[in-house]
Amino acid sequence: MAADGDRKPAKKLNLKENYALLTRGLGWEPSYQKKEDIFRTVDFEGVKIHDWDKWEDPFRLTMDAYWKYQGEKERKLYAIIDAFQQNNGQFNVTDVRYVQALKVFLNGIVGLEYASHRGFNILGRELPGVGPRIAAQMQAIDELRHATTQIHAISHYNRYFEGMAEFPHQFDRVWYLSIPKSFFEDAVASGPFEFIVAISFAFEYVLTNLAFMPWMSGAAFNGDMSTVSFGFSAQSDEARHMTLGIEVIKFLLEQDPANVPLVQKWIDKWFWRGYRLLALLATMMDYMLPKRVMSWSEAWTIYYEENGGALFSDLARYGIKPPKYADVTVKEKHRVSHEMWSVFYTVRDALGFPIWLPSKEEMDWFSEKYPETFDRYYRPRFEYWRELEDKGTPFRSSTLPKLCQVCQWPCLYTEPDDASEFVHRQGEYQGEIFHFCSDGCSDIFHDEPEKYVHAWMPVHQIYQGNCFKEGVDPSAADFNPMAAALDYMGIKPGVDGGSMRDHVDAQRWESWTARPANMHEGAITDAVRKTT
Amino acid sequence: MSYQLTIEPLGQTLEIEDEQTILDAALRAGIWLPHACCHGLCATCKVQVREGEVDHGEASPFALMDFEREEGKTLACCARPQSDVVIEADIDEEPDAEVIPVRDFEGTVTRVESLTPTIKAVFIRLDEPMHFQAGQYVNLSIPVPGGTITRAFSLANPPSSGNEVELNIRIVPGGAGTGWIHESLGAGQRLSVAGPYGRFFVRKSARQPMLFMAGGSGLSSPRSMIVDLLEGNSQQPITLVYGQRSRNELYYHEQFLELAGRYPNFRYVPALSHEPEGSDWEGYRGFVHEAARACFDGDFRGHKAYLCGPPLMIDACITALMQGRLYERDIYNEKFISAADAQQAKSPLFRNI
Repeated sequence: MAADGDRKPAKKLNLKENYALLTRGLGWEPSYQKKEDIFRTVDFEGVKIHDWDKWEDPFRLTMDAYWKYQGEKERKLYAIIDAFQQNNGQFNVTDVRYVQALKVFLNGIVGLEYASHRGFNILGRELPGVGPRIAAQMQAIDELRHATTQIHAISHYNRYFEGMAEFPHQFDRVWYLSIPKSFFEDAVASGPFEFIVAISFAFEYVLTNLAFMPWMSGAAFNGDMSTVSFGFSAQSDEARHMTLGIEVIKFLLEQDPANVPLVQKWIDKWFWRGYRLLALLATMMDYMLPKRVMSWSEAWTIYYEENGGALFSDLARYGIKPPKYADVTVKEKHRVSHEMWSVFYTVRDALGFPIWLPSKEEMDWFSEKYPETFDRYYRPRFEYWRELEDKGTPFRSSTLPKLCQVCQWPCLYTEPDDASEFVHRQGEYQGEIFHFCSDGCSDIFHDEPEKYVHAWMPVHQIYQGNCFKEGVDPSAADFNPMAAALDYMGIKPGVDGGSMRDHVDAQRWESWTARPANMHEGAITDAVRKTT
Repeated sequence: MSYQLTIEPLGQTLEIEDEQTILDAALRAGIWLPHACCHGLCATCKVQVREGEVDHGEASPFALMDFEREEGKTLACCARPQSDVVIEADIDEEPDAEVIPVRDFEGTVTRVESLTPTIKAVFIRLDEPMHFQAGQYVNLSIPVPGGTITRAFSLANPPSSGNEVELNIRIVPGGAGTGWIHESLGAGQRLSVAGPYGRFFVRKSARQPMLFMAGGSGLSSPRSMIVDLLEGNSQQPITLVYGQRSRNELYYHEQFLELAGRYPNFRYVPALSHEPEGSDWEGYRGFVHEAARACFDGDFRGHKAYLCGPPLMIDACITALMQGRLYERDIYNEKFISAADAQQAKSPLFRNI
């Protein structure tokens, strides 16, 4: 020791140097295979990358540390879910309408987490740079974890309520669930750079806050601590995913000027695709949460117009413009949730969850939050529908809706400058006519028609006879095509959809909790009346 | 009460109140730490506590794990000091940054010169020399009637000028401090300054060509940096694009002409934006970013750029540089980030510019 007494201690490594040494040599140059044979899709889209080392790894997370973090998150989350279950937490939520929102989550959104897991696995294989490849691999595992924990957090409700038991089956078959499913399949079927711009930037970065709003704050407001805990456990992963989105966009734009128009095209496309997907959340925020957090219009103002505005003013320095049709989203923010709930109401017999008309208290809230549109366009409609319900002749639509070839929503949206006129756009490709809900979706189709003509359109498939179970005989005398199609989707007529007033969830809720199924409307069964 | 907060790997020490978060103290001192949600949920601002005690505050158990608390990690956005604290944050080390403790200096004004109708040069002989990096600034205590106020001014002289420091001060219409300097300050006045402050300095170890862009009263730091480089025999190409509205505001023009004649690696590009038509000005007419674009043919790749001037000029210059494919990692400007900035809608695309 004495001999070393004069030696200066080595300079302590900082976090960046430490990480560089920990991970050096983990990415290697191939020696007996050509790089282009290993990374087969990296040149497919025309993106030019000159120096993968310019990628700044924003996380500096080793796999060892990653497992440790995620392990502890899981432990804590499941402790809370256990406590929630032991305390019958499912009965402490505001009312049974909140449970319907959870059904939409489980049936429509959990499948997206799994699709995202697949997409990031592909990126983890296809990106030649070590930094983004590791980030994609970690995100692939995150997404799988999110899907699993969401299923666990929500599945407890499945023991008490209808409509959640068949969620993977329904994700593949139910007509309106083709909307989220086709969104992610479009992304996964793109090249690697389009996928990462679509999901990491346009969706995770630009739009994800809007998904957290109704879900995590909404769950907290409505007493669902199980879903809130899932939200906390996911949010620390989301911060990593959002940072990845920002790094990706900077990296692509700085690498080569030829990348700028490609990135712009993908931002335009995926902003619009993501926005259309979020219309589902708009409806849930405004109509399905018994206690509301804020209106969709307010959320869009804060999270897109203000935060997105700051982002796109910075991106302007790279020559990137705000997404095409962003102005349309601002016009639609006063309408979209009302238009969609109206369509859900009219097709309620073909849904996996029951529907209700907004109460007087809720309509007054809408009048306040939507002063330009609600009283003029939607209040009279809802009041008329309630009148018909009271007369015993409720309005319902008996035909299937026309779907948009790109987003797969029913063509339910109205003209950007005229809320009384439905948007009808159509285009022709190889002699066939295709319909669109908007100019945004029409543009996307016409940029890649050969991709979207392959879309699996549920309504078309039903009419073509492709949505009946094996052994069903359409020529039988008592054949009911609607019932047969619903049976194929896993929707039980008289159990799953319909009106909340008649729904089995509502009746059970009142008999188990002695509280009204709809806190704004009063009890519908004697179970509550007796005790209050 | 307040404590000392030291931020590694910068080695910089600052004051922090016991009720203040580490993130707030760092941002107010102009030190950027990674952060995002600012309320303990996202874990972007996680740092290592090397010495001292902190209160983790509202940090979420999902964002700051139990094992991390045991390892001494904390979330800067929620952590408050309970003693003097040393943290290590995930920020890049700056090999060219010197850590110079801030001190108070007393001095005597030797002369006050008019540079333009609105800018005066104040020369102060300090009782002892101040060590600083070219580009840094000082806080000047100004004895106005009714008390003392402090204002920040960049040092216009190179570090080699011994005890004498030079401050170039523009009169702010209605400004108490600059008004007193312009109207009442003269030779023989005793003044005190504190410094040096700031993290605006030349990245000499990068060994790349340098582009300085200056306008308005923002010439001080670039002038100090350029003179320091040339005196130190820098062999890198150095360009100064220097803009004013008109010829009578173009102070130190002759000095730069002289330097450009003496040093072949120094190019001087003056630009006037509002010079009257038909005057004998033969240089560039237009704004700094336009002059720079013309003189580099719109391609700034391979440079280090240092910007100093009014906010609109800085903004136009950053845009021009990025359009010319020079990005944040090579662009430097003196910027103060306050906690209020962290609250407003701001994109995380850029950190320092």
